[in-house]
Amino acid sequence: MEQSTKASLQSFRSNLSAAKLALPSGLIATNEGELSLMDFPTSRHEAWKYTRLSRLAKIQLESTIAAPIDWEDFNMVKDAYTFVFQNTTCIYISSDLPEGLSIKIGDEIESTDWLSSINESHVAKLNVAHAQNGCLINIAKGVQVDKPIQIIYITDGPKQPNFWRNQLNIEVGAKANIHIGYFSKEAIDSYSNVHWSVLLKENSHLIMTKIQNDGEANFHFSTENISQLKDSNFTLNTVTLNGAFVRNDVLVNVEGENCETHLNGAYIMKENQHVDNHTTVDHIFPNCNSYELYKGVMDDKSTAVFNGKVFVRPNAQKINAFQSNANVLLSDDATINSKPELEIYADDVKCSHGSTTGQLDLEAVFYLRSRGISETDARSMVVAAFMTDVLSKVASNELKSYIYQQLAARFNLHLQGED
Amino acid sequence: MITIKNLHASIEGKPILKGLNLTVNAGEVHAIMGPNGAGKSTLASILAGREEYEITAGEIDFDGEDLLDLSVEERAREGLFLAFQYPVEIPGVSNVNFLRTAINEIREHKGEKAMSAKEFMALVRDKSALVELDSKLASRSVNEGFSGGEKKRNEIFQMAMLNPKLAILDETDSGLDIDALRIVANGVNQLKTDQNATIIITHYQRLLDYIIPDFVHVLYDGRIVKTAGKELALELEEKGYDWIKENKVN
Repeated sequence: MEQSTKASLQSFRSNLSAAKLALPSGLIATNEGELSLMDFPTSRHEAWKYTRLSRLAKIQLESTIAAPIDWEDFNMVKDAYTFVFQNTTCIYISSDLPEGLSIKIGDEIESTDWLSSINESHVAKLNVAHAQNGCLINIAKGVQVDKPIQIIYITDGPKQPNFWRNQLNIEVGAKANIHIGYFSKEAIDSYSNVHWSVLLKENSHLIMTKIQNDGEANFHFSTENISQLKDSNFTLNTVTLNGAFVRNDVLVNVEGENCETHLNGAYIMKENQHVDNHTTVDHIFPNCNSYELYKGVMDDKSTAVFNGKVFVRPNAQKINAFQSNANVLLSDDATINSKPELEIYADDVKCSHGSTTGQLDLEAVFYLRSRGISETDARSMVVAAFMTDVLSKVASNELKSYIYQQLAARFNLHLQGED
Repeated sequence: MITIKNLHASIEGKPILKGLNLTVNAGEVHAIMGPNGAGKSTLASILAGREEYEITAGEIDFDGEDLLDLSVEERAREGLFLAFQYPVEIPGVSNVNFLRTAINEIREHKGEKAMSAKEFMALVRDKSALVELDSKLASRSVNEGFSGGEKKRNEIFQMAMLNPKLAILDETDSGLDIDALRIVANGVNQLKTDQNATIIITHYQRLLDYIIPDFVHVLYDGRIVKTAGKELALELEEKGYDWIKENKVN
């Protein structure tokens, strides 16, 4: 039994190319040693209890050359420094980068550039072993990038494996706003595995917004490893609009005092879609605040998992950590498995966590209908209202209106922007 | 305007309305009074289209339409308005944005073209002044963080915006201090024309000092048991409902 499942991860890997990125050789060797002994996790593994990989394990991925596309079809915001990957090829690079923003793509990245990033999960290990392309972005000391940086990843074609590995260095006192979009095109049984290592140096400021807008039959795995040094301020917005299967693993190590961490998540799912958000905020140093708000609306037979962990280490006094997950189920067949967790080893902290799951507020729907609004519109207004606070945290207005348009198109949801 | 004939309704098998008859014509103001549990709010709920009530007998004609056959939103589009006893807070839905959607859905239903933003904002200014509702409140989330009085004023503001044929005010006076009561009543009075009608459901005579009804009905045990002019309200205030209950029994 063990043997056969072990074989499944190795057999899944058999068609995959070895890493093309020049990662540190020590990292590759250690990683391969561990990965070769690994298997796809089953529901017996706590971190995969509600997310099954058995269907994925049966897929034989195969890299194919995709026909050229017009990436503008996937553009989220116009006014940005943009980079676009179609499968593992970088197909567009903004030419007019400002001083202080530098970017290396693929083989421009040297092995010494990479932070060594160790994750236990098979997802992150697969990424090390098979990383094909990616980017390394550096924001120089004290620089505030004047426009958002936009990176678009398009998974194109069936059974396509895409392993992207990226790194973001925000130097001392620098400030940036980055939009990352994941899309797919005819990606039936395709697989995208993206890894981000992010380092926020002292007094730096980063807002990272991920838009997951994959197709109806793509498997998407996203891992973010974030290190925050003192006085830094980090925000991650994870907006999942579409995708058959989406798994997010976020790990924030708060490695200095006076840091602020914001994790916001919005997921709006339907049909048989599945989204799994696993987050960890590790407070190692005192005097920091972290805020986590994830909200979801689930329709049809969709399923969602939320597992948020906050660790407060023994010396990390004066921590304020707040965590909340709220869900609305629109159908009797939709499911949410929500598990907020706090592990506190310091005694002078203020932490709270909570999880709510409910139906749509039918009294509010009735109220709106009694003013002449159709039932469909009334329901969508109430759903949208539920999501408003978390979506309002998405930094740029242009990106916000992009999200609203996508929701309107997909769900007949008409959100009200802050106009 | 509206004719209710022999209306019987129950909730969870329990009969509440037991043969209610009421006719309201354009240009009239009717007050429905009665003790707790008589069925006043049930009547308001049924007129607005709440689905938890079962209509076991009777009919309601609303300007030639079978009201019971219309959905909640169709009733509103045909010109029926309910001012809620307990207005709902809807965080995240802006008051004016939702009203604009409502007005345009009503207009579309009538085959009229959508109201322009400019026209709409002018209407908001005009009508919020009518009920002395701060224009900041008008643009906030629906009823969120509003005081009791502000919620009720917001109901009348919405009524003014939607300009209904028939307005039903369900205990609009409850929880209002005397100033708010005057403001609400003043708003209702200014909206009155010979083309529209108002049904005021209330426990107390107080509101009727400000909005003078043409008819006062006493609803007791699911039926209208007495109808008279505005003087009946004063008599009820003085004598309570017991004498009517006794009269009915005798």
